Amino acid sequence: MVQQSPVLVVVIPLIFAFLIFIFGWWRRGICYPITLTAISLSFLASLLTLNTVITTGTIHYRLGSWEPPWGIEYVVDHLNAFVLVIVSLVSLIAAISSKKSVEKELNEKTVFFYSIFLLQVTGFLGIVITGDMFNLYVFLEIASLAGYALIAIGEDGAPFASFNYLIFGTIGACFYLLGVGYLYITTGSLNMADLSQILPNLYHSKVVLVAFAFFLVGVSLKMALFPLHVWLPDAYTYAPSPVSSLLAPLMTKVGAYIMIRIMFFVFKPYFSIELIPATTILVWMAGGAILFGAIWALAQTDLKRMLAYILVSEVGYITLGIGLANKNGLTGAILHILNDSFMMLALFLVVGAIMYRTGKREITGLRYIHRKMPFTMAVFVVAALSVIGIPPTCGFFSKWYLILGAIDANYWVPAGILLLSSLLNVIIFFRVIENAYLEPDEGHTGGTSETHIAIEEAPLSMLIPILIAGAGIMLFGVLSGKIVSTIIQFAIPSFV
Amino acid sequence: MRILALFTVIITGIILAYGTQDMPDWGDPKSPASIHVSPRYIEKTIEETATPNVVTSLLADYRGYDTLGETTVIFTAGISCILILRIRKRRREQK
Amino acid sequence: MIDLIISKYNYWIYIVLMMIGFYAMIGKKNLVKKIIGINIFQTAIILFFVSTASKRGGTLPIIEHAHGHGAHAIEAASYINPLPHVLMLTAIVVMVSTLGVALAIMILIYRRYNTLEENEILEQRKWSSNPPF
Repeated sequence: MVQQSPVLVVVIPLIFAFLIFIFGWWRRGICYPITLTAISLSFLASLLTLNTVITTGTIHYRLGSWEPPWGIEYVVDHLNAFVLVIVSLVSLIAAISSKKSVEKELNEKTVFFYSIFLLQVTGFLGIVITGDMFNLYVFLEIASLAGYALIAIGEDGAPFASFNYLIFGTIGACFYLLGVGYLYITTGSLNMADLSQILPNLYHSKVVLVAFAFFLVGVSLKMALFPLHVWLPDAYTYAPSPVSSLLAPLMTKVGAYIMIRIMFFVFKPYFSIELIPATTILVWMAGGAILFGAIWALAQTDLKRMLAYILVSEVGYITLGIGLANKNGLTGAILHILNDSFMMLALFLVVGAIMYRTGKREITGLRYIHRKMPFTMAVFVVAALSVIGIPPTCGFFSKWYLILGAIDANYWVPAGILLLSSLLNVIIFFRVIENAYLEPDEGHTGGTSETHIAIEEAPLSMLIPILIAGAGIMLFGVLSGKIVSTIIQFAIPSFV
Repeated sequence: MRILALFTVIITGIILAYGTQDMPDWGDPKSPASIHVSPRYIEKTIEETATPNVVTSLLADYRGYDTLGETTVIFTAGISCILILRIRKRRREQK
Repeated sequence: MIDLIISKYNYWIYIVLMMIGFYAMIGKKNLVKKIIGINIFQTAIILFFVSTASKRGGTLPIIEHAHGHGAHAIEAASYINPLPHVLMLTAIVVMVSTLGVALAIMILIYRRYNTLEENEILEQRKWSSNPPF
């Protein structure tokens, strides 16, 4: 069983998606437990995979026992296994908290919703674990199609936002396919390990250069890197709450994983850094993303839309780490994949709980919420501190590595942008915290007895995931050193 | 907006066409794509898979996992269409 | 330059087709035209891939008289390359699925806004919500 764990991670949600579709007709209430079972089993398999990778090194799993490059192969190294565990854990927490929102908003579509939910998770896991370029395209399309459908069933502006996302996402996937095609024409192979052996002889070729350009643009479209991020705020604002808490932490991080895989493993780091200045371009795009994401987030009055712009900013952090391309920068980027998934998960879960209880999301409408939902807002404060970057929350450690990496590479302006963005994040989140926690001064005569508001906390199936996410933020902050030394240190490619 | 779109399209086309300079000619039997991986498929398909149609043996045997992904894509698209479009009768009466 | 175009004319034709589809996707305002643009773009990519599979003098990759007549030497150079065809079978399926989901979303948009022109939809939405960036 342990030997088959790489493929079980992907195949279990796939089979269960089909089973939900069959059994849901019989009893609707059974969809939620089946979903949780599927994702928990997948999470266990991913933990087993990570354990195997840590103890014995890279796993090569051949599908159908055909040796690569004639068959498809799953190559699981430290980077892969790490992102697999993150994706399955975040999906599990998002799935646990989805029950009440689905009952309230999407009741008659429960069967189909959970089926597409599991297919979305399958898509993400399949993208992360594979070692074959065309297989990645197939699973990228599974994830994308599920994403378009999940976003389109949201509130009022959702179908148009989903259509916009569809156009941009299809352009991104088609550019990726064009890149695979150009590489295939000139090398004849589709396997990532094989390509990394053949390509160094062809670095002077124009075909390879154009293929690299198309890969980067396509993945940037999927990852919502500035200035190709225009689909993201609308799509994640109008999506239903369980959907945005699944998609927002994960889609962008999986895109960042694809970028790291292509830039540093398929093409050697020498190509991406010195032969063409791809990393320099990425650093400036990332700087723009961090700055403009924070500035636009300041201008919003809707809490969820503000979080979507903060997500644009966070994608900028990860891309800055990739662009710096030294040891500290990449450590910061990979650590930030973990940290940002949990931060965004916690923030979007909190907004989902607030939407469920009060039905509105304006920042000015958050009066007295700290009395109604104390635990939820406590987790919000913890997540806000993490986005700002205050120890011992996890956000501080990844920012620290990123700043160290920027100083190592003599990029002073991006280091300054990182510090400036912390300041902007303080302003952004303090606006929300002020509206939520500090009450207006209504005079002292009998004010306190009038403003007694009962605790009307989020339901338990939403509260427990929120608390787990908040605890995770603190826990991963404390354990950052151990995570870096055990996993991330081996996940970074060696720079010649 | 239209000018920006036209400009983007022309730039993309020029980049793509620039990349075709180093590509193998059309129908070249010595192109890298025809030499590296695919000869083994054609030569060994009878003894390894007993299927005369090489495309079928590739689709179902050597790269069967991609075919599983492809059927999953169809399944996803079908359920997505139901998820997006389905209206129950009583909701339509309430509208 | 001329012999460049002549020897590689298949790639150039498909690039022109791709760019027509790409322009329709991003330059047109009607949603149906955008979807048709997606279709043209993806079809051109599929044709581009398939055109790399041909070999001069090669025939279809189906091995005749395979069973029962004793093994005769199978030369790879007399059959065209089957791998791009297989990849493009999957890509065609993906294209049709994307078309299906796009049309379903478009039906949902039409039910709500009663129009399929992008500027009219943005007009209707301007009176309800946030700035469109």
